[in-house]
Amino acid sequence: MAGSRAPVKRGEKVDVLIIGAGPSGSVAAKHLATAGLSVVTLEQGNWPDADNFPGRRPEFELVSQKQWHPNPNVRDLPRDYPVETSDSDINPLMFAGVGGSATLYAAHWTPFLPSDFRVRTLDGIADDWPFTYEDLLPCLEEIEHEVGVSGLPGNPAYPPQKAFPTPALPIGKVGRKAAEGLDKLGWHWWPGTNAIPSIPYNGLNACVRRGTCMTGCPEGAKSTTNITYWPHALKAGARLITGARVREIEVDENGLATGAVYFDETGRERRQSASIVIVCANGIGTPRLLLLSKSKRFPDGLANSSGMVGRRLMMHPFSAVAGVFNDPLDGWQGPFGQLIDSFEFYETDEKRGFVRGAKWGAMPGGGPLSATSFVGSRIFEESGSRVEDAWGENLHKMVERRFNHQLVYGIIGEDLPEASNQVVLDPKLTDSDGIPAPKLIYKCSDNSTKMLKFHVDRCLEAVKAAGAIETQVVHQVRDTGWHLLGTTTMGADRSKSVVNEWGQTHDVPNLFVFDGSAFPTSGGVNPTATIMSVSLRQTKHLIKNRRNVEAA
Amino acid sequence: MLTDSDRDIFAKMADIIIPAWQRMPSASAVGVHKELLDAVLRARPDLVEGVKSAIEACRGRSPGEGVNDLFRSNRAAFDAFTLAATGAYYMDDTVRKLVGYPGQESPPYDPWETPDYLTDGLLERVTRRGAIYKSTPR
Repeated sequence: MAGSRAPVKRGEKVDVLIIGAGPSGSVAAKHLATAGLSVVTLEQGNWPDADNFPGRRPEFELVSQKQWHPNPNVRDLPRDYPVETSDSDINPLMFAGVGGSATLYAAHWTPFLPSDFRVRTLDGIADDWPFTYEDLLPCLEEIEHEVGVSGLPGNPAYPPQKAFPTPALPIGKVGRKAAEGLDKLGWHWWPGTNAIPSIPYNGLNACVRRGTCMTGCPEGAKSTTNITYWPHALKAGARLITGARVREIEVDENGLATGAVYFDETGRERRQSASIVIVCANGIGTPRLLLLSKSKRFPDGLANSSGMVGRRLMMHPFSAVAGVFNDPLDGWQGPFGQLIDSFEFYETDEKRGFVRGAKWGAMPGGGPLSATSFVGSRIFEESGSRVEDAWGENLHKMVERRFNHQLVYGIIGEDLPEASNQVVLDPKLTDSDGIPAPKLIYKCSDNSTKMLKFHVDRCLEAVKAAGAIETQVVHQVRDTGWHLLGTTTMGADRSKSVVNEWGQTHDVPNLFVFDGSAFPTSGGVNPTATIMSVSLRQTKHLIKNRRNVEAA
Repeated sequence: MLTDSDRDIFAKMADIIIPAWQRMPSASAVGVHKELLDAVLRARPDLVEGVKSAIEACRGRSPGEGVNDLFRSNRAAFDAFTLAATGAYYMDDTVRKLVGYPGQESPPYDPWETPDYLTDGLLERVTRRGAIYKSTPR
């Protein structure tokens, strides 16, 4: 049965309960509801209010460093849960709300490449995925047309595929400057592909290049699922409950999931029963919830007989290289997605002393305060040992030199899975509902450090070739854990993985994970395109095979 | 909130970190201690405590000495003060005009216009070099 159905009533047992209304959960909700299944989604955040996004207001740069910072520990809002990070080299970044962390993403649309699915075969490390790039491609192409991606076809960094649904955004003077440097070196570059349409599309407005993508798009032009998926899902009968913070997935005497217990916005405890439960709470929230869901039958947490729930956390260590140029670059203009990207050094070359690689995205410098900061963090600040080193006349000189003259390369390197990098429950810290908070134990690997150093050196060559008169490097930026992956890894061996190739947990046949937690490896790119595509693949399989799923 | 005395101290402190320079006015000349400071603290109430601490640390001292001491002994208050002062300064219309910042504007563009990189050979050279990805091994 396809099409809309009567809306689900509160408390009514449903076919499918989805936990999390971010990119992966939204894809599942829309497609499951459209296929005729009854669906409830629990989302701990609220609907975003575009009028609250600060991009049009003069204090935009100021609030991007606090209330709209991507680090929940910096924002410290009641809907966020805290994360204990004293044993982590990187801070995780995320946002609770309909649309999930994509509310604050830069919308770089960079699907995984063929080699990303075959790391073990090609490089003798980590693991291969249970499926290939070619297997996933039809889902990627379908997602791109739902999301409203803008881009130019023909990128030689990728195999041929269907054209993007909207034309590429302008690369601006910043993108042009970056491209000229890469051209001089004979290195790859391509106009940026972004989840930001250049023409009105699927409920989205066209990008107006305001450049405030990372504090929420006040134009409604950045593709987030509150705009592109939820109207369709709700029309098809799905129910979305916001302000619902799940504390446990419950199981019956047969070890099957029966639903979830959650706190509503008033703090009242409620239950939602379902035949099937899908967790889409990101690479930290998903293992946290499974570890919270302990029972006599599952004393180490739900679906954790392998001991792998929470392990293999990957967060993409990130470095930034800034180049300052004589020419004015209109550096406050957007999009703050990627203007151009480069995959010149993406694939493994063992002569470099490390395996795998990284993608570069060229982004504008931003407003005057951004002369010393990047995405709300003051990483380019030069404090010196005396006040006058960075202040006084030197402040004026620095702003005159950098503001409107700067481009920033963001380097995202592949993070290899290591069992020691993990999410656990903190014994003391809790969220505002008293639920134990997650703690991260994460160390950047030697491979990541070598990789980023190599890429920083190449990036410096690229900006110098473009004519940079000044450069700055920030190696392994701490506030850059946008990509939370790997903590319920996918695989065929149930002693080494948590879910199978369809996102179904090995231990609980009616419990699924459809988010980036299931990724066996991380690629060296922004993962939202692949997260949404994998979720669609798993959703389609579930729809087709739902009658074979053993349900509570 | 802040008294007139607090604002006077803040203005003198702000002029240490943002003095007049070439065509740029000093912080106090554009009134960073007045409505602009109120706007900053409304937007960032978390800075209030640090700004007040910074003002107290400089009360009754020469501004240069006070700011330098703050820099060495209370970096949290120094950071709150400098962010409030620079945030106010770069929100001022005159300052924005002088540095050439129109704010986060929305410049018009034609998404169907052929970009220059497609007509001047810049991107063609990338295409001509061919595919750079590794195919899925068979």
